[in-house]
Amino acid sequence: MRRTLPVALGFLAVALALYPLEATGYGLRVGLQLFMWIALAQSWNLISGLTGYVSFGHVVFFGTGAYTASLLVNAGMPWPLACLSGGAAGALLALIIGWPCLRLKGPYFAIAMLGLNEVMRVIVSYAEGLTGGGNGLSLPTLDASRSIYYAMGLVAAAVTAVTYAIVTSRFGLRLMTIREDEVAAEAMGIDTLRYKIYAFMLSAIGPGIVGGLSARDQGYIEPISVFPLIMTITMIVMALFGGKGTIWGPVLGAVVLFIFQEAVWARFVYLHQLLFGAIIVAVVLLMPRGILGVLQQKYNLPRTI
Amino acid sequence: MSVLITPTMVGQVVISGLLAGSIYALVALGLGLIFGVMRVLNVAHGPLMMLGAYTTFGLFQRFGLNPYLSVLVSMPLLFLIGVVLQRFLVRRVVDAPELSSLLLTFGLSIALVNLAQLAFTSDLRSVEYLTGSFVVGPFAFSKPRLAACAFAVTITAGSFLFLRGTRLGKAIRAVSQSREVAQVCGIDVQRIHLLTFGLGSALAAAGGSLVAVMVAIQPEMGQVYTFKSFLVIVLGGAGNYPGALLGGLLLGLVEQLSSLFLTAQVNEAVAYVLLVLVLLIRPTGLLKGRV
Amino acid sequence: MAPILEVRSAVKRFGGVAAVNRVSLALEKGRIYGLIGPNGSGKTTLFNCITGVDHVDEGLILLNGLRVDRLKPHQIFHLGVGRTFQVIRVFPELTALENLLVVTTAGYAEARGRAEELLVRVKLERLAGEFAGNLSYGQQKLVEFIRVLMTDPELILLDEPAAGVNRTLLNDLLDAVRALRDQGKTVLLVEHDMKVVMGLCETVFVLDHGEKLAEGAPGVIQADERVIEAYFGR
Repeated sequence: MRRTLPVALGFLAVALALYPLEATGYGLRVGLQLFMWIALAQSWNLISGLTGYVSFGHVVFFGTGAYTASLLVNAGMPWPLACLSGGAAGALLALIIGWPCLRLKGPYFAIAMLGLNEVMRVIVSYAEGLTGGGNGLSLPTLDASRSIYYAMGLVAAAVTAVTYAIVTSRFGLRLMTIREDEVAAEAMGIDTLRYKIYAFMLSAIGPGIVGGLSARDQGYIEPISVFPLIMTITMIVMALFGGKGTIWGPVLGAVVLFIFQEAVWARFVYLHQLLFGAIIVAVVLLMPRGILGVLQQKYNLPRTI
Repeated sequence: MSVLITPTMVGQVVISGLLAGSIYALVALGLGLIFGVMRVLNVAHGPLMMLGAYTTFGLFQRFGLNPYLSVLVSMPLLFLIGVVLQRFLVRRVVDAPELSSLLLTFGLSIALVNLAQLAFTSDLRSVEYLTGSFVVGPFAFSKPRLAACAFAVTITAGSFLFLRGTRLGKAIRAVSQSREVAQVCGIDVQRIHLLTFGLGSALAAAGGSLVAVMVAIQPEMGQVYTFKSFLVIVLGGAGNYPGALLGGLLLGLVEQLSSLFLTAQVNEAVAYVLLVLVLLIRPTGLLKGRV
Repeated sequence: MAPILEVRSAVKRFGGVAAVNRVSLALEKGRIYGLIGPNGSGKTTLFNCITGVDHVDEGLILLNGLRVDRLKPHQIFHLGVGRTFQVIRVFPELTALENLLVVTTAGYAEARGRAEELLVRVKLERLAGEFAGNLSYGQQKLVEFIRVLMTDPELILLDEPAAGVNRTLLNDLLDAVRALRDQGKTVLLVEHDMKVVMGLCETVFVLDHGEKLAEGAPGVIQADERVIEAYFGR
């Protein structure tokens, strides 16, 4: 069993790497987006699944990364570097917001995050001189779908790897104590604020980079397209469904729900959001730990699932 | 912007602020009751308000019913809806970690908004009933706002009388302070939870009906009120019902005042910054609440 | 010799009620102290103020002469103070071993060594990999106790260590506390079980309605009329 898993993963990696050679433009886009969602769900999991501090406005980092990267690309920076800067911008925003807001108790932090996304969208719309406001921002045309596919894949893999590293380390254990019993954690010498900020910043890098990549791929962004609530909702549903707090849960959730989304959304646009709302309700009531969480408990699986 | 700000302008703004604040207070009271009694942060509060607004619109369009009278319909209707939601969904997460109730009501709010989109489409609707203003001296009182405020004050006052004076109201306050003690005193806590969620929803609906005359009605109209209701609760102190009143008026004032100095768009940011400031400096609220 | 812990006129209010009202006490190093009083007398509140979980409204708390009443709990922890809780607070989804590893900043190998040593000392080594939430009450109590010992604190605060514990386990715990005192540690415990207090503590403080009623050797306290009144009413 131990040897088959890495080998299977290896095959999968090779298959995914060779995929663009055969895939159509549409197929490439689908693959690219799947990687993006994995990265997003996994990143949300880093803060919300591990520490229990629910981020309801997480797409704000995606949007911030998108705008940062776009502005830099328009200023002449090569897009890979610009996207990485998008990630850095996300982390910086997380630090600025997190420093005051993570002091708050869980529910109050959630309220604060609810408002944050709207505020950023408004600010971006307002700063027309810089961001083009409601008219959006265009990037020089470039057909880099294939490279972006690989880049997204790399980010998805990286975030998953980072999650694995964290969950198996003492840093990760300390994050989990915050979720279990924050008062006891503080009393046991854990500087909970500092750990929360670290986790928050880490959770913002992925969306930041991926936002930049998405912007580069689309070639055009506007406030509503990069700060949409539906993106936060989707991230959350994916991570919840697969199992928040686990390593592969967000991946599983992303894959299953993305396929579902492609099958349903294409036909019923409105039904899509409604179904996601219903799924959240169902998951919270019936299996709040998600698929992998339930399996973990039932079969006493290790935490590295 | 180098326009001189005259006392008249400030006065006008204060009036507008208080008028708007009365609606915030009404809606926030509903949220505050739900939070105070069940410790549930009802993210679906805005959508419930939206349903109240659509009820008013529907009645106005079909039967020409006076929007202000439609409150008598939207409140009981949303009360029932609230009770049903509590009975089948919210009840399961009252004792769960707060994350669960947040996510549940979040999912619920998405579902409600999208059901509304399916049923009513996203087209903007409006109720043209009352327009214009009373002019008294240098001040203009917008008629719809004035009417809305009058009704809001009445309903809010009624709610307070209910909470203070009736046995049921006292039971609600008792459960809000300590569930265990209330149980020991023979109060049926489950029933109180049902009633509170229903009452909170009804208050939100009332707010929706009242603003239906003034704003564009569309499925997402409630979202901003959800956030602002949270802000009011935080300002006034969680579980502090008179505090919700104060917080609502204060929010209305701050918003209108800031519109003197900043553009309308940035107003959203003002509410947000205010929230973060209060949470950091005085998390228990301006009047003491229970964190 | 300077006291290891000094509380000077501490006042802590909740709303209109003073849960702790002008309480002063001083702990000398290397002794076992008891803190008793009827329910609601402010014992746990005082503990919370000493460990930073709550903050006093007036008064000072000094640890080895250093003011600690404004510090955060984790900072006080790192100054050498450890505590257990009235209601057991182990981390349920971490294993017993992980509960111990998480509190120390020492290197992994060193931490693991010490954790395993402590687990052996309380005979829980088989359960090292078990989720703490799955352990029995007594086992959790032990884990919480040795968790406190992981970082070798100088001052140890125990909140009702005897609660819900059977005789055998209790004796083991009491022996462990005496051993700590022999190593030069200072222990302050809140307890309702009078036998435990009388048999273990060298000095006892009595709180009633937030005020310090009496202080002295166990025998003296037992005979004090005011203490008897406070416990059994007027």
